[in-house]
Amino acid sequence: MKVNRLGALTRAVRNISRRKMRAFLVIIALGFSMAIMISIPAGIVANQEATQSLTENFNSTMSNVQAEINKTTTLIDCRTSSGRGAFSGTPSGMPPWGSQQGEAFINETVVDEIRSIEGVKDVVPFLEKSSEETTSETINTPRGSFTISRPLYTIIGVSLNSSFIDSYSTLPTNITAGVPLRDGDSGILLMSSNLSDYLGVGLGDKVEVYGEYFTVAGIYEPTSEGSMQTRTVYMNISDVQTITGNIGNVSRLDVYAMNVSDVDEIGDVIKAAYSELSVTTYNDRLTNIERLQEMYTETLNTAESTLSQTQTIATQEIIVAVAATSLIVLFVMLYTVRERTKEIGTLKAIGFSNWNVMSQFMLEGILISVMAGVVGIAIGSIGAPFLSSLLLPHVSLFGGSSGRFQPSFGSANLGTTESATATAALDPQLMLLTFGVAALLGAFGSLYPAWRAARTRPAEAMRYE
Amino acid sequence: MSEVILKTESVSKTFTMGKREIQALSNLDLQVKKGEFVAIMGPSGSGKTTLLNVLGCLDKPTGGKVVLDGVNVAELPEKELYKIRRNKIGFIFQTFNLLPYLNAIENVELPMECTKKPRSERRERARKLLELVGLAGREKHRPQRLSAGEQQRVAIARALTNDPAIILADEPTGNLDTKSKYEIVRLLANLNVDRGTTVVMVTHDSRVAAQTERILLLNDGKIVKEKQGLHLAKKRLTCPYCGSKVQPNDERCSNCKRRLWKPEENRS
Repeated sequence: MKVNRLGALTRAVRNISRRKMRAFLVIIALGFSMAIMISIPAGIVANQEATQSLTENFNSTMSNVQAEINKTTTLIDCRTSSGRGAFSGTPSGMPPWGSQQGEAFINETVVDEIRSIEGVKDVVPFLEKSSEETTSETINTPRGSFTISRPLYTIIGVSLNSSFIDSYSTLPTNITAGVPLRDGDSGILLMSSNLSDYLGVGLGDKVEVYGEYFTVAGIYEPTSEGSMQTRTVYMNISDVQTITGNIGNVSRLDVYAMNVSDVDEIGDVIKAAYSELSVTTYNDRLTNIERLQEMYTETLNTAESTLSQTQTIATQEIIVAVAATSLIVLFVMLYTVRERTKEIGTLKAIGFSNWNVMSQFMLEGILISVMAGVVGIAIGSIGAPFLSSLLLPHVSLFGGSSGRFQPSFGSANLGTTESATATAALDPQLMLLTFGVAALLGAFGSLYPAWRAARTRPAEAMRYE
Repeated sequence: MSEVILKTESVSKTFTMGKREIQALSNLDLQVKKGEFVAIMGPSGSGKTTLLNVLGCLDKPTGGKVVLDGVNVAELPEKELYKIRRNKIGFIFQTFNLLPYLNAIENVELPMECTKKPRSERRERARKLLELVGLAGREKHRPQRLSAGEQQRVAIARALTNDPAIILADEPTGNLDTKSKYEIVRLLANLNVDRGTTVVMVTHDSRVAAQTERILLLNDGKIVKEKQGLHLAKKRLTCPYCGSKVQPNDERCSNCKRRLWKPEENRS
């Protein structure tokens, strides 16, 4: 039963190289099947990553929003209809930067007017303005990718009245460098760490805002993560009013009620008196967040069902690719066995056992498949994104399936498909797996032809012409 | 006298073609002694190749015994026969049946591949065998670069590889020109004389058969006649002209310089 593997391998290699064109065509055909087998899992991994990233992003957003809402049960958020601000006030759940056009303002006399409403404890004014500098961002959607331009950062002018700062946390608290703003501060600002990183400025540096230079007095870490991380600077409201030409104007008012039970009533009074203000109470925010939650859940469900559909299609396609590979090997080896019947007879006549003959042909089948595996990896490495987008309808060529979810999140960087596909094809583990699968399919496909070769009766084989 | 190396007792072989039965061998009895050079002749369809296939364990008889080197191979299961073919039998075919993608030495080595011999030993033996058949220096040539006669020499070397008890040659000169034909039959005759190799050769060429010791005539699956061959290789060991000793491979007598071997001698 002893087989000289080296001799059998040499013969297998020589036999394959004897018919170069045939071997080339077979290996290319098999290589494509292998490339499909590599590309599909890569596409699936990318889809899974995109969905997971989306879920994580949603969860993070929801917990941030929830936390924000819970700590301000007595807060009535009033802002000019196209004002800017935190999550709480955007009825559609649009992100804070979603409406950068047509910023509107209201005269700050409104502060005292609202403060005089019965049950109102305090009114904290803000002036929010977009930076002059803009940044462009590419968004991928199933209909194609487009570029949008948005402000580089948001300027929030805060009243530095110490009672406001202490009672209502109007300024960020997690300062990582420098000092927070204090009553009477002017010509300085508090900058979010992501903006300081982006601009490459640090503590004590001067930055130009609307033509004026301000010193970075402190740097803080934004509390929200991922898509919610907006680049922001906090400044004295009077500085913002001056430099933006909005003296006497505000864009947002945080109205605090004495009691939670008064909130809805005060809200109704403000709504009736100031039509230019968009007013949201705690209950409104709860409703909004529920709506937001529903929308997110729906989006996530769509993403998951898309993923599940994609996986089903992928499974079917892999089965077809595996079957195609096995069938190609089967037919090629059957043809080879038929063509070499006389050789089989000779081998048996000179003392080769059935196992010797069978292993010879199986080795050839395996060798062809492994060579095809190399070709498959080469094709897969280059063409995996293309192949997976071609074969998996929910993975787009650039940016992948995540693109379809992006409009809800804007800056969310969920487009992991492309990199995932490319790296997956080059992953050594996947390469090893591909060789393993290739060898297995080669063995499987050549099993029957090799068995037929082995059981050929030598006398009949010798008569075969 | 010499022991019997191959014996058949009432061997028969019937082929079924549809509803028709063809009796290729019919109660055939045969004995081949060790060191004999036997030719089997007969018209087409007389059962020569079938007999050789049965003797060589390439096919199983439908009845009777085939005793090779003391073992009744007709009783052995199909899966055991490869050992007999590997160790006891050397085959030579009309169409040489060399593997085209292997060179001469690799073709000769092939039957040893399934044995436990180390690679270096196999290579050395194959080289010596090629030298024996007169192909020293042609080891690396692939079959397509060798003449028909040379290819058959490689096939003869291959048949000798595992030191078989018997060589079965099926029309070994059938595809050769006249010159190569006599070279090959002379090579077989010399191997028979020098090494004592038992050779059973199927041929329909009476001049080739004449070079053997014993000629069996086959017809309708039976041996119908037996006659003595010339076996000139044996006679050549002494010069027929001056009586001095000669070597089997000598063309001429070293003493009287007369030609010892020429094809014309065989035309009777």
